[in-house]
Amino acid sequence: MTVLRNSLRSFLSHKGRMLLSAIAVLLSVAFVCGTLVFTDTMNATFDKLFASTSADVTVSPKEKEGAEGTEGAGQSGTGKPATLPAEALAKTARADGVRSADGVVTSSSVTVVNDANENMGSTTGAPTIAGNWNDHERAYMEITSGHAPRGPTEIMVDADTAEKHHLRLGDELRTIAATGERTAKISGIAAFEVTNPGAAVVYFDTGTAQEFLLGDTGAYTGIAVAADSNVTHELLKRNVQRALGGPDAFTYETQEETAASSADDMGSFLDVMKYAMLGFAGIALLVGVFLIVNTFSMLVAQRTREIGLMRALGSSRKQVNRSVLVEALLLGVIGSVLGVGAGVGLAVGLMELMGGMGMELNTSELTVKFTTPVIGLLLGILVTVLAAYLPARRAGKISPMAALRDAGTPADGRASVLRGVLGVLLAGAGATALVLAARVDEASEGALFLGLGVLLSLVGFVVVGPLLAGVLVRGLSLIVLRLFGPVGRLAERNALRNPRRTGATGAALMIGLALVACLSVVGSSMVASATEELDKSVGADFIVESNSGQLITPDAAERMRDIPELAHLTDYRVVPAEVRTAEGERTGAKDLIAASPTYAEDLRVETVAGELADAYDRDSMSVDQAFARKHDLGVGDTLSVGFEKGETARLTVRAITSSDGTVDRGAFYTSTATAQKYLPQGELPLNLIMFGSAKDGQEDAAYAALKEAMEPYPQYQVRDQADFKQNLRDQVGQMLNMVYGLLALAIVVAILGVVNTLALSIVERTREIGLMRAIGLSRRQLRRMVRLESVVIALFGALLGLGLGMGWGATAQRLLALEGLTVLEIPWSTISLVFAGSALVGLVAALVPAFRAGRMNVLRAIATE
Amino acid sequence: MAVAAAGRRVVKAYGAGETRVLALDRVDVDIASGAFTAIMGPSGSGKSTLMHCLAGLDTVSEGEIWVGDQEITKLKDKKLTRLRRDRIGFIFQAFNLLPTLNAAENITLPMDIAGRRVDKEWLGRVVETVGLGGRLKHRPNQLSGGQQQRVAVARALAARPEIIFGDEPTGNLDSRAGAEVLRFLRQSVDELGQTIVMVTHDPVAASYADRVLYLADGRLVDEMLRPSAEAVLDRMKHFDTFGRVS
Repeated sequence: MTVLRNSLRSFLSHKGRMLLSAIAVLLSVAFVCGTLVFTDTMNATFDKLFASTSADVTVSPKEKEGAEGTEGAGQSGTGKPATLPAEALAKTARADGVRSADGVVTSSSVTVVNDANENMGSTTGAPTIAGNWNDHERAYMEITSGHAPRGPTEIMVDADTAEKHHLRLGDELRTIAATGERTAKISGIAAFEVTNPGAAVVYFDTGTAQEFLLGDTGAYTGIAVAADSNVTHELLKRNVQRALGGPDAFTYETQEETAASSADDMGSFLDVMKYAMLGFAGIALLVGVFLIVNTFSMLVAQRTREIGLMRALGSSRKQVNRSVLVEALLLGVIGSVLGVGAGVGLAVGLMELMGGMGMELNTSELTVKFTTPVIGLLLGILVTVLAAYLPARRAGKISPMAALRDAGTPADGRASVLRGVLGVLLAGAGATALVLAARVDEASEGALFLGLGVLLSLVGFVVVGPLLAGVLVRGLSLIVLRLFGPVGRLAERNALRNPRRTGATGAALMIGLALVACLSVVGSSMVASATEELDKSVGADFIVESNSGQLITPDAAERMRDIPELAHLTDYRVVPAEVRTAEGERTGAKDLIAASPTYAEDLRVETVAGELADAYDRDSMSVDQAFARKHDLGVGDTLSVGFEKGETARLTVRAITSSDGTVDRGAFYTSTATAQKYLPQGELPLNLIMFGSAKDGQEDAAYAALKEAMEPYPQYQVRDQADFKQNLRDQVGQMLNMVYGLLALAIVVAILGVVNTLALSIVERTREIGLMRAIGLSRRQLRRMVRLESVVIALFGALLGLGLGMGWGATAQRLLALEGLTVLEIPWSTISLVFAGSALVGLVAALVPAFRAGRMNVLRAIATE
Repeated sequence: MAVAAAGRRVVKAYGAGETRVLALDRVDVDIASGAFTAIMGPSGSGKSTLMHCLAGLDTVSEGEIWVGDQEITKLKDKKLTRLRRDRIGFIFQAFNLLPTLNAAENITLPMDIAGRRVDKEWLGRVVETVGLGGRLKHRPNQLSGGQQQRVAVARALAARPEIIFGDEPTGNLDSRAGAEVLRFLRQSVDELGQTIVMVTHDPVAASYADRVLYLADGRLVDEMLRPSAEAVLDRMKHFDTFGRVS
């Protein structure tokens, strides 16, 4: 009990010194809990949405997944949804237990634009859906103004989209589908009764929807069946199956199954996001560990005499040890409890942020599961207590004699030889693993080595950090601090006096910056490699594609074909097919690229045998080198190609392409005409991309004409090579910025660590500061001394981190060279910016400690024990 | 006699109203230049406070403090710092040295901070006087208590301040090491013409001084010229009884 009381008093009397550690725990726990609450809320929102929009039983055409084209990552498709005949609806309606059956028409291969040709779709990647207004929709949508669409010229839009784009009744919307386009006036606005996070939805009346979206007034894309009361969904499903001719005729799903499969698609995306964010929270927590270790080490050192006295008075080692751990426990509890609360706030903030980006989420649906605070508390408390374990043990080892000795400032901590050896061994093992990773031929094997190398070298650097601190701080001082004369020297000595502390503080910063450096190297290598590849292989002047995966509709393609300044316009369609050898053996290969013969000019692909242009002849194709080797194919051999939804063709291999490039690696080419020949009317997939080349000297005019032609189609982007590269750079830059943003948390905690170390050091050196002030050090000089120490520690961390990170990045590039990351580019501008930024961070971290040091009363400082 | 520093009607009060306590009660004092002055008195007599006020470390409530021909009670922190740096030297009872600097660096620290050139010849003489020749590269924790105080003396002397203030400079030393340090202080007055003011409660230490000032209850109550240890002790006993009676 006494131990507890003592710990509690000690904790309270040092609460100022614990503050930053508590903030570090708080931030990490908040990030963990915020992530959990946010993703749980998203999941709950989608679950609710899918549950309410799914019919009791849904009947849909038997179809391979993704065949519609735009959902998921499908790159092929005709843009027309699969259908079932109207008789099915009539049969379903007659089945037992059916209260009502609605024919549903829905397509997500649509784009909706307003009269200014602006895309009304979601900006967050959520789909745009066009459908028919039917009784099933009425169950979860409520018309808030106007009336349901009637006839071919009326359309109804969902309330969120209307609000986002300031749409009003009577406004005209143009809907673009593969089957054509339709302009209609808004007759009504309907609101979801549950939260709809993003999809834009428009409705036509059933006849219009059938004619427009399906090109067939006797078809539906599905049937929504409602059950009579007392009929379970399972029973209803069996009844409907029986009525429609068994389970093989169509796909049948109960409400639960529909919701679950929709939620699965969403859930895996959310899971990736969740684990990525938790990973970054984990890094921040790891960085926080350094801060906590430093805090408790310093508290124990400062209390050496007090602890000695307790030991002299009869406290056992265990009691002293425990008293420190109890303080850590208190810190962990307070930091974690506040962290859980802050986490909920963070989740709300994230939802608002998402709202700002166009994702509608409702904060009243905030889902805090029971496990969330439990995980947050356990994590925060465990990590804090574990981090305090070493300092606590050191406290237990303090001898009773320490009470009698004149404590003065704690002796300079010396880095031990053991630590040096261990650290060098670990770092060496890490470096070896990295070298191995860079040398392997098999990417999967290399990834293991890379992971191992990253981990070992990181741990090695942390262990050897205090020793490196000695060397690097001296080196940095030579360059930076000597400019500041004796004050610089004092700062250098202060940074060096406890290498373990400086090492731990710098290591905390190192972790975040190493990741920044590594990712920036990989990112810029990605851009450089892709740019080089583009320069080498892409001959086309212009590239037209959609950012959201929408295929290019025939109408849009037609508009481009009419441009006189274009020398040619190339089709590029992905045609699903199963490729077998002439003997009928499966090769596992799917998908052919059906392109115009001009594609050979647009993409320069090296051939190892034959002429690529010949592959575009009738009944011809090309295969890639690796495939040819594996199946022992040569020019002139034939393959059996079974086109999905079409006939099986025997195509002659006329060219074998090199497997070196990264663009279209491993693709099989054939001509559009060949694919057309074996596919029924209307089953030829739409273009995924189109390439164009201008007539000589008409590049600018052609580019302008293409842009103008695509003006009514905001879903497609026209880019010349420069734009294309810029877009690539922007995308990589965006991705990096997002990761940097997430790493910022770890870096903020590391900066808190620098502040913490400085603040505690200044408390510890009170007497020294008093002495220096007495013999004439001015406030300004004193503050500068603290700032310089801080800058040196920050630069030390930056140097370690950037060095380590560039090593990781270069290794990753070597490893990924197999995947096409052939060019290593070190982004020196980013690296030097980060390095210079670290100096700034040092200055900022020293602001408060320097101010407090300057404000110290000289006499009182001298008199301090 | 030339005056190196002086206090005029110096009052130092703590608290206010009922709880007001006078640490210094209208003290008038002149510190002779080129002499070794000791300030004695029982605990709580105000002797350390007087020294801190004279040295510009502490502020006074009333009165004037003169260092040379400058009145310092109105100076702001910046000017006071510069005054201490350029014109005053300090030797404290303990913890005089920065642990991160070696002996030589500690000695030249005030000049380094000021950005002044170190007078090599003078430094050599000071180092020789205090007998530190072989230990200049040692860190404080490699030096004995006596050696550390000698480094502190050397630091105080090296910058050639107008006055050196010592606050119980031998208080933490055994009698042999203490005597050594006091001899150096005496020597620096005799040979280098240094002005030294030392606060002490040790009659033996006081006997090294040219003049001893006695403080009791914040007032200057007596002085003694050319003191011997016995005489100082006698006087102290007298004050002790006096103090108890009053």
